[in-house]
Order: sequence, then C-alpha cells, then structure tokens
Amino acid sequence: MNASARPAGSRRADFLIRYAPVLSIAGFAVICLIFFAWGSPYFLSGGNMLNLFRQSAPLLIVAIAMTFVITTGGIDLSVGSTVALVNALAAIALQAGLAWPLVVILMLGVGAIVGGVQGWFSAYQGIPSFIVTLAFLTGLRGFALLLTRGYSIPIAPGSWFDVLGRGSLGPLPVPALLALATAFVGFVVLDGTTYGRHVTAVGANLEAARRAGIPARRIAASVFVLSGIAAALAGLITAARLGSGSSNAAVGFELEVIAAVVLGGTSLFGGTGTIVGTVLGTLTIAMIGNGLILMHVSPFFTEIATGAIILGAVWLNARVFARLAGPGRRQ
Amino acid sequence: MTAEPLVALRGIEKTFGSIAALRGVDLDLFAGECLGLVGDNAAGKSTLTKILAGVHEPDRGSIIVAGEDVRFPDPAAARARRIEMVFQDLSLCDTIDVAGNLFLGREIARSGFLRKRAMIDAAREMLAGLQIRIPNLTATVGSLSGGQRQSIAIARAASFDPLVLIMDEPTSALAVAEVEAVLTLIRHVKARGVAVVLITHRLQDLFRVCDRIAVMYEGLKVAERRIGETSLEDLVSLIVGSGGA
Ligand SMILES: Nc1ncnc2c1ncn2[C@@H]1O[C@H](COP(=O)(O)OP(=O)(O)O)[C@@H](O)[C@H]1O
Ligand SMILES: [Mg+2]
Repeated sequence: MNASARPAGSRRADFLIRYAPVLSIAGFAVICLIFFAWGSPYFLSGGNMLNLFRQSAPLLIVAIAMTFVITTGGIDLSVGSTVALVNALAAIALQAGLAWPLVVILMLGVGAIVGGVQGWFSAYQGIPSFIVTLAFLTGLRGFALLLTRGYSIPIAPGSWFDVLGRGSLGPLPVPALLALATAFVGFVVLDGTTYGRHVTAVGANLEAARRAGIPARRIAASVFVLSGIAAALAGLITAARLGSGSSNAAVGFELEVIAAVVLGGTSLFGGTGTIVGTVLGTLTIAMIGNGLILMHVSPFFTEIATGAIILGAVWLNARVFARLAGPGRRQ
Repeated sequence: MTAEPLVALRGIEKTFGSIAALRGVDLDLFAGECLGLVGDNAAGKSTLTKILAGVHEPDRGSIIVAGEDVRFPDPAAARARRIEMVFQDLSLCDTIDVAGNLFLGREIARSGFLRKRAMIDAAREMLAGLQIRIPNLTATVGSLSGGQRQSIAIARAASFDPLVLIMDEPTSALAVAEVEAVLTLIRHVKARGVAVVLITHRLQDLFRVCDRIAVMYEGLKVAERRIGETSLEDLVSLIVGSGGA
C-alpha cells in the first residue's frame, strides 16, 4: 500500500483505489469470521450460519434500500418505525381476517406511501431528509403505539403467512432467500441500470444531474419509496417470524442499518454507493452480534463492541482509502 | 443580417433577491455564426446563457427558437431543443467515470440496462474526434486535472449534434494546444450550421472565431459589433463601461 510507488496508469493501482472501501470491509469480515470460528466451535456450523442469515435478513433488506438513499446524499431515519407500524398493522389486519396475500400487498403499499410522502417533503419541498425522516421516526412509532395501545398482537399460526418468517426452501430460510434476492436486484439496479446511474449522479452533484436533463427531484424522492417498501417487507418478515405484531419492534433499527451501509463503504456525502459493501457490512454486524453471544460475552458488551468496531472499521477505511487515493480529491 | 435568427431573446429580465442580474436584454443568434459575449465579472453573461439553457427561468421576456415562442421550465426542455451548454462550473459528477459523464442524462441503454462497453467505445471516439487525450475512460472525473475536466465538459456539449452551443469560459483551465483545439472545434461546428455563443476573457480568441460580439455591462447589453467593425481597444473600453453603444 505505497502510494508514492504507484506507477502511472497501473491497472492494479486503479483497481485498488476504486475498490478500497469494499476490499477493506471484505478484509474486516474475514477477520471477524476467523476470530469467531476460533472463539466458538459452533460458530461456523451450518445450523448457526443459516440462523445468522435468517436473523439478519430484515437488516440486509433495509440496508440495500438504504444504500440507494445514502447514495443520493439523503438519509432515512424512519425505517425502524416503519417496521413497527407495518408489524402492528399486519397483525391487526390478519386478526381481522384479511387474506394473507392481500395483507402483504397492502403493507408493501403502506411502506411505499410512507416513503413517497417523505421523499416528496425532502426532494420537492427542500427540507433536509434528516429532518423529515426524524419527524416520521417519531410520528410513525406513535401511530403504531396508538393502534396497538402498546400491546403485542398475536398472529394465529398455521397460515402461509408464517412461511415469510419461519419457512425454508430445502435448507435455506425463506427470509434469507428474500434478502439475497433483494441484494441481487439492488446490485444489478445500482450498478447496471440507467436508474442506478441517475441515483449516483444525483448524489454526486444534484444540480449537474438536473442540468444533464435527469429528473433529479423525482430520483431523489424515489429512493425513499424503495426504503419504505424495504422496511415494510422487513416488518412483515419480523411479524411472521415472531408470530405477533408489536409497536415496540425494531427500536434503534435505523441506526443499525445506517451502520451496516457506512461500514460497507457507501459515502454519507452521496455519490458513491456499493451493494457488495453493504452486504459485507451487514454480515459483519450480524457476525459480531451472533459470535459474541456464542462466546458467552455479556449482551451489554456486544453493543459496546459493535460501536467500537464500527468506528474502528470506518476509521481504517477512511485512512486506507485516503492513502490509496493519494492527494488528489478531498471529499 | 437578413436571415431570420435561429434564437431570439427578447426583453429578458432576471432578479436574484435584490440583485437585478439582467435588466431587459435582447440577443439574436444565427445559424453558422459565433457570437462572442463579453463583459466585466457579474455583468450577467452566465445568467443570460443559463436562461437559454433552461437552468433559470426569466422573470420577464421571451425566448423564440426558430420563430416559435418557447418556455424552458428545466434544462431537459432546452436540451430537447438541442441547446447545449458548457457551464462555467463544468457541472460534472466527480464520482462517475469519464464515459458516464459524457453520456450523463442520455445513457446508452437497452430496456433500462446500461451498455457500459458501448458507452466507453463511443466515448473514446468522441474524445478522439476532438483530439482530447484521456487515457483511462473508467477513471472517475474527480481524479482528473482541471484541463481534462474542462475538455470533458466541452466534449459532452459538442458531441450530440447541437443546434446551439453555448460555452461559458471554456478555455480558462486549458493549455495552449487545447485552446487551439477548442477554437478549431468552434470553426467546425459553425461550418455545420451550429449557432455558437462563446463567453471568454481572452479577447484575442474572439477575433479568431467570432462573427459578432455583444458587450454586457451590469445586466444590460450595451453594445453589439460585427467583428470587422471593432478592435481590441474598442472592446476594452466598452467592457469597462467608458465607451458608448
Ligand atoms: N443563482 C444566483 N443566486 C443569486 N445571485 C446570482 C445567481 N447567479 C448569479 N447571480 C448574481 O447575478 C449577477 C450576474 O452574475 P453572472 O451572470 O454570473 O455574471 P457573469 O457571468 O457575467 O460574471 C451577479 O451579481 C451574481 O452575483
Ligand atoms: Mg460567469
């Protein structure tokens, strides 16, 4: 990693610069994997790995959508509250006897609308997304509490709805498959489509994107529809897994999601997003939580460790990235 | 000039807060002609051309393209009329690569999927045609030099068959050979019938490619001269505001 020795036009150096954030989180994920495999014989077992994927599915699904939001230079703090609202609404709707496919469609619609309203306020009314989604973080949670009066609402077991959270296809948990599918679609869309290119352009330079004829506001608003739908899907999966709906679900979830995305190397300044990084960042956070429990570390300590590791990894990332990129561009 | 102007701006006014950036400007652009736009800093050159490019909407006044009264609510509308502009601030996306910036807003795609290979090949051809040398088309634009960035902004505006090509101080970061290439480019597109607007502080360049020169002063067009009827001294005195129209 010696920048001064970089020969002009070296393909390897170009590769390193471009993928430094992803490479550094990949290295970090591997270190975590080795550390926990060493710390607990059970960690690498198939059962635990499948469990880890099942549990981290909601996080991954929302983190993929959040990558789009952050790539445009926005932020969505409302996803945890959207999960709670959908969680509660879905349980209420199922209890009222609505057919489960209808409930699924309705809830995804609720997510899209909640996201669309926030996108409109931030992109068309010029209110920073931090403020808009902070207001929704509070408001949506309150709405969910009002609906449930704080109680957990049971979902009658035995319907196909359970499959969303507890089902398996062969050995693979359904939530994990949904998350993998989301990640795959997210990767293709962000990296390989005109829409993904416009998302990046809006985050890199909104006015330049507009001047290039891109519908910049519509793009900036649309990513909140994505995060709303993703949060709704996460809410459905959580409700199905726990067999109940609760307005207290997913408290602090938005911060975990943002941590996973930033850990993956997506820039909070916008203009640079990586789905591969987000997948690795999510898995790293999931591994830390899971591994420390297996090593019988106090769950309180897990929170401290997660915080320290996020800061450490992002710091390393920034240092390595800055070093590799040389004195050229400063963000 | 007997021909009908390709573009006519009439009575354009624009105020930003308390600043009257434009106070009623008329301007005609003709096909195959280069108009030099000069004036002191803050005279309103960029604002006037940005209005033609759809970046700002005028408070008052009209834009007439090929005899038709048009409104440009956004830059996409001006682009649809084949009006292209090299912005003074370049308006590039630093985290996107060279090919991506050249095709920004008109990506080559098949049912929504980018054809990156095709864009890189086309970008190489575009740059070669303008004698711009950028070795790595997949490098992000933020990592390039000021001159390279300016060249990319020029290539982007000039390469998609414009009817009107506006260049706002396009040569400020360019080396001597690159400036020559831009002047050659202007002659080429003029020969193809494009109406060119060139804003520059390098007055000697104006005499090499322009047919007419308009001078702005504090939001007004104070003079317009055919290139044969003016001189460097004349222009200088008009720009600093000591001459008359
Ligand atoms: N977006 C804007 N907001 C506020 N004031 C502006 C804006 N754009 C230009 N101005 C003001 O309008 C005047 C004309 O600016 P400009 O057209 O950029 O001049 P020039 O390009 O001739 O140097 C200046 O006083 C400038 O400060
Ligand atoms: Mg200017």
